[in-house]
Amino acid sequence: MSLSSRMIIVLTSVGIISGGFLVSVGHLTKDRIAQNKQMQIEDAIVSVVPGTSSSQKLYEEKDFIIYTGKDNNGNLLGYAIYTSGTGFQDKIELMYGINPSLTIINCLTILEQKETPGLGAKITDKESFLIYWENRDSSGSLSLHKPAATSLEELSQAEINTITGATISSEKVLQIVNLSLEQLRSLKKDGKFGSEEKDAN
Amino acid sequence: MVSSEARKKMPTKSIAQEYIKGLWKENPVFRQLLGLCPTLAVSNAVINGIAMGLATSFVLIFSSVVVASIKKLIPSQVRIACYIVIIATFVTMADRFLQAFFPPISKSLGPYIPLIVVNCIILGRQEAFSSKNSVSRSLIDALGMSTGFIIALLILSSIREILGAGTFLGHQVMGAWFKPWIIMMLPPGAFMTLGILLALALFIESKTKKKTVKRTV
Repeated sequence: MSLSSRMIIVLTSVGIISGGFLVSVGHLTKDRIAQNKQMQIEDAIVSVVPGTSSSQKLYEEKDFIIYTGKDNNGNLLGYAIYTSGTGFQDKIELMYGINPSLTIINCLTILEQKETPGLGAKITDKESFLIYWENRDSSGSLSLHKPAATSLEELSQAEINTITGATISSEKVLQIVNLSLEQLRSLKKDGKFGSEEKDAN
Repeated sequence: MVSSEARKKMPTKSIAQEYIKGLWKENPVFRQLLGLCPTLAVSNAVINGIAMGLATSFVLIFSSVVVASIKKLIPSQVRIACYIVIIATFVTMADRFLQAFFPPISKSLGPYIPLIVVNCIILGRQEAFSSKNSVSRSLIDALGMSTGFIIALLILSSIREILGAGTFLGHQVMGAWFKPWIIMMLPPGAFMTLGILLALALFIESKTKKKTVKRTV
C-alpha cells in the first residue's frame, strides 16, 4: 500500500471512530444537559417571583424572554424577565421578577457572567449587590447611587447601589435592566402581553 | 512486569520510577513548564483546580493508552493530526460529561475544558512517550504526569484561594481581620504565585543536586 493511501485510510478511520464515540456521548448527555438548563431557568423564575408554582413562556425575542409566574390558583403573581447584554468582560445573563403592573422589581438574579473575579463578579453576591435590587420602583428608569452607599436606607426607591471597585459591571447590569424595562413597557402598550392578568381576575 | 531479559535489553526505568518521575523530577508544571495556560487561568479556586486536574487526567490517561496501542498503525507524517483527533474526542466527552452531571463546575471552568485539546502536556506526552513505549508504560507515565499536574494545581490554587478570598474549598479559613488580596484572584496573582513557586522548585532542585554530587564525590 502506498504511503498516501495509508495516511488517508488511517486518518479517515480515526475520524470515523472518534465521530462515532462523540455521537453516542452527545446522544447520552443531550437530555440531561437540556434538563439542567431548564431547571436553572425554573429555579430562577421561582426565586425572582416568589410563590410561583407554574410558569409559562409568554414572549420571546433575541436576548429577551418573558415568563409568567402564577400561584396554585392560577393568579398572576408577576413576570420573570430573562434578558442579557454585554458586561465589562463578556455577556451577562440575568433574570428579574416584576409585578403584573410593571411598577416594582421584586429581585434580580444573575444567571451567567464572566466579570473580574473578586470585583465585577460581586454582581452575583447577595450582600454587596443583589440585596439592593429588592423592591425597586420600576415605573421609570432606575439609576445608580454613586459612590457606593453603605446601607439600604441611603438609597431612593429607584436607585441601585454601586459595587466599590466595579462601577462598570454595576452600570452594565443597570443598563441591561433599564433597556429591558423600556422594551417591556412598549410591548405591554402594543398589547403583546398583559391580557392574562385579566383572565386571572 | 517486565521480564529480566527484557530489562537487560532496554535499560529503562522501573514501573515505580516511571510513575514517580511525574510527581517531581519531570513534573509537568514545575519542571517541564507545560500546560501553564490552564494552570494560570483556573487556579483561582481549589475546586476549579481539582476539576481541571481531573478532566486533564482523564484525557491524558485515555489518549496515552489509545495512542500507545495504535502507534504502529499511524504513519509518522499524520501522527500529530491523529493525536489531536484522539485527544479532542476525549476532551469533548469530558466536556459533555461535566455539562451533564456537574453544571456549576462546567460553568466556572468555562472555555478551559474545551481548551484541554491544546494543552501541551497531553500532546507532549503522546509525542515524547506514548508513541515510543508500550501501553502499560504509557498508562503509568500518564498516571504519574496527571498526579503531578493535580499536585501543582492544588498548590497553586490553595495559595490563591486562601490569600485571594480567605477560603479553602469555599470554607472560611482566615479570621475576620483578614482582608482578601483581590490581586491573587486576577491574572497578575497567578503569574506571581507561579513565578515564586518555580523559583522555589529550582532552588530545591539545586540544593538536592549539590547533595548528590557531594555524595558521589
